[in-house]
Amino acid sequence: MNNVSSTQPPTSDAMRLEDESPPRTGSSRLGPQLTRLLLSNEFGLLALIILFSVIFALATPGFTSSFSLFAMGRTAAVNIIIGFSMMVVIVSGGLNLSVGSIGVCVAMAGGWLMQVAGVPWYLGVVGALVLGAMIGALNGIMIVKTGLHSFIITLATMSIFFGVMIFLTQAGSFRELPPEYVQFGRMKINGVVSPLLIVTLLIGVVLSVFFRLTTSGRRLLAAGANPDAAELSGIRVDRTIILCHALSGVLAGIAGLMLVSRTGAAIPSMAGQLGQDWLLPAFLGPVLGGTLLTGGRASVLGTLLGAFLVTLLTTGLLLLQVGAFWVQTCLGLLLLAAVLIDLSRRTYLARHNLI
Amino acid sequence: MIRKVLLGTCMSLVALAGPVSADSSTKVALVPGGPHPYFTAWEQAGMDAAKDFGLASADYKVPQKWELGAQNQLLESLVTQGYNAFLVFPGDPVGTVGIVDELVGTGAVAMALAGCLRDPSEAVFCMGTDTGNSAYLGTQQLLKSLGGGEGRKIAHFTGFLVDANTKLRIDAVEQAATEAGAEVIQVIADIDAPEPAEEKINAYLAAHADEVDGIITTAWVPAVVAANALRKIGDKRIQMVGIDHDEVLLQAVKDGFVHGTMLQNPYGQGYIGSFAANKLREGCTVKADAPFKSNALTDKFIDSGTVFAGIDDVDDYVTSMQSITKTLFESFESTYLDC
Repeated sequence: MNNVSSTQPPTSDAMRLEDESPPRTGSSRLGPQLTRLLLSNEFGLLALIILFSVIFALATPGFTSSFSLFAMGRTAAVNIIIGFSMMVVIVSGGLNLSVGSIGVCVAMAGGWLMQVAGVPWYLGVVGALVLGAMIGALNGIMIVKTGLHSFIITLATMSIFFGVMIFLTQAGSFRELPPEYVQFGRMKINGVVSPLLIVTLLIGVVLSVFFRLTTSGRRLLAAGANPDAAELSGIRVDRTIILCHALSGVLAGIAGLMLVSRTGAAIPSMAGQLGQDWLLPAFLGPVLGGTLLTGGRASVLGTLLGAFLVTLLTTGLLLLQVGAFWVQTCLGLLLLAAVLIDLSRRTYLARHNLI
Repeated sequence: MIRKVLLGTCMSLVALAGPVSADSSTKVALVPGGPHPYFTAWEQAGMDAAKDFGLASADYKVPQKWELGAQNQLLESLVTQGYNAFLVFPGDPVGTVGIVDELVGTGAVAMALAGCLRDPSEAVFCMGTDTGNSAYLGTQQLLKSLGGGEGRKIAHFTGFLVDANTKLRIDAVEQAATEAGAEVIQVIADIDAPEPAEEKINAYLAAHADEVDGIITTAWVPAVVAANALRKIGDKRIQMVGIDHDEVLLQAVKDGFVHGTMLQNPYGQGYIGSFAANKLREGCTVKADAPFKSNALTDKFIDSGTVFAGIDDVDDYVTSMQSITKTLFESFESTYLDC
């Protein structure tokens, strides 16, 4: 969970793939599989999710109501996808500050295709996602061609994409969308589960397969871990950077289109000014989930759990009626506590020779 | 000063409300789009309404940040907490329609307050300032202070472009200026927050103060920042009309740095809105022939009032706002509701 602070020499940072085993510090009394599980970020996050769920369920009577669970799942679904869209770029050792801006552009394009161009909703979704891939790829191309850090490029394109979108739409919105598309975002499966959450889980599975089992995914991890070594081994690092930004654009677009379905309209303000509202969820999920900011390691499950934990904490704090202006502070403190608890868990295991 | 307004308005409305009715199960949530000084009057309005009308509660609930998602999440949590009446400033006039429809789907009453939802929506009505009209009247006052509009050059400082009201304000200022033969030489938008407002207004005035005869501001923060900037410049040549009742702005009016301000009525919105929500939950319905006004977003609009306060009125503006609130409240039930 606290991988942000784990700095490693460049040489040992290479190829830190998702299935890499943690370092061994002593003789193990547990099986290697169990040891690996206990030491994983994912286990820590899962334990925290269970812990806080129990606390909130006991402290707030409405927490386990079907409406609350449905609303929380739906919010988490979007936050997780936003986290994924940043994760796939962080893996390459870069950043994408324009995820929110791209997400809104795709959402507005989808709204235009469905309302103005009159295409069926599924073609509108596909067309909008193609635009997302193109915008994302444009980011990647500029990064590769200029040699500038992705932070600089995406900081600039964040404003450019959003500005062009505002110019083209005149800050107008699209709300005459196909009813079945809007209904999808409001649908409840068994009164509790949002179909958006199912879509998110499916995308998580696809991303896991991509990073674990496909050549492109492994190349992306390798390029992120050590670009020079990857280049020497025959990997076209520039192509992988363009690929990961295109993928990021698609994922940001999916999040945008989910929000369109959830709100029933494509609106320019859905991600705030310049799409900045998405930046926090975009970073929190991957960072809490154990994705290294230096690149080379992706944790799809960790990102999913990290984003869900943040949504859970926010919902729980709201239900506890913590003063509005204390929610952010409490959220920060709880996240810090979560990191420290995770650290304690690791320390305890090490001291008791459980690893 | 703000406390004076609230206290004065409260005391006068307690008398209007009459005896407290039996305790109601109505739990009202007054939810702005995010933290903003304009909405702080809603807190007192809710408390007064709960006391005067015997509501279970009428609480002011602020999203921790100005984000549509944060507001949606707060509204969903309020449903879980048992709130059954929602007075909502839409985070977005279209984007908030979905969550309001869902709130109504849970059996709650919902209305748009201070800003409207775009029709169609499940909100019973929208009560707020007629923003276009306020900007139009404010510009007229500004041009009057300049001795007429012919050949005058004015600058317009306003709120976020993603807020549909901003376009209405820009158009209204342009219309009033054109009608009087004046020219809007600069519109600076997206500055209803301290940092961008300080940066852009000060930079603009540093470079172009000599070219400007007047300033109209149609959002809270730009009004405060522009008033401070004119005080710093100090020559009182540039006339300005602001908006709302921030103490900085009111003091600038008293000191002659600002010609006047267009007051709005957030207290009345919260108080009367809570009253109406309770009535609707008790079985009243909105009259089919209620005399709603129309604006660019909705055909179910109730103007909560706006009034210009110049140097002669600024000390007594409480009375002006009380008068508007009283008038609206006295006739509200008979005008808009079937009970």
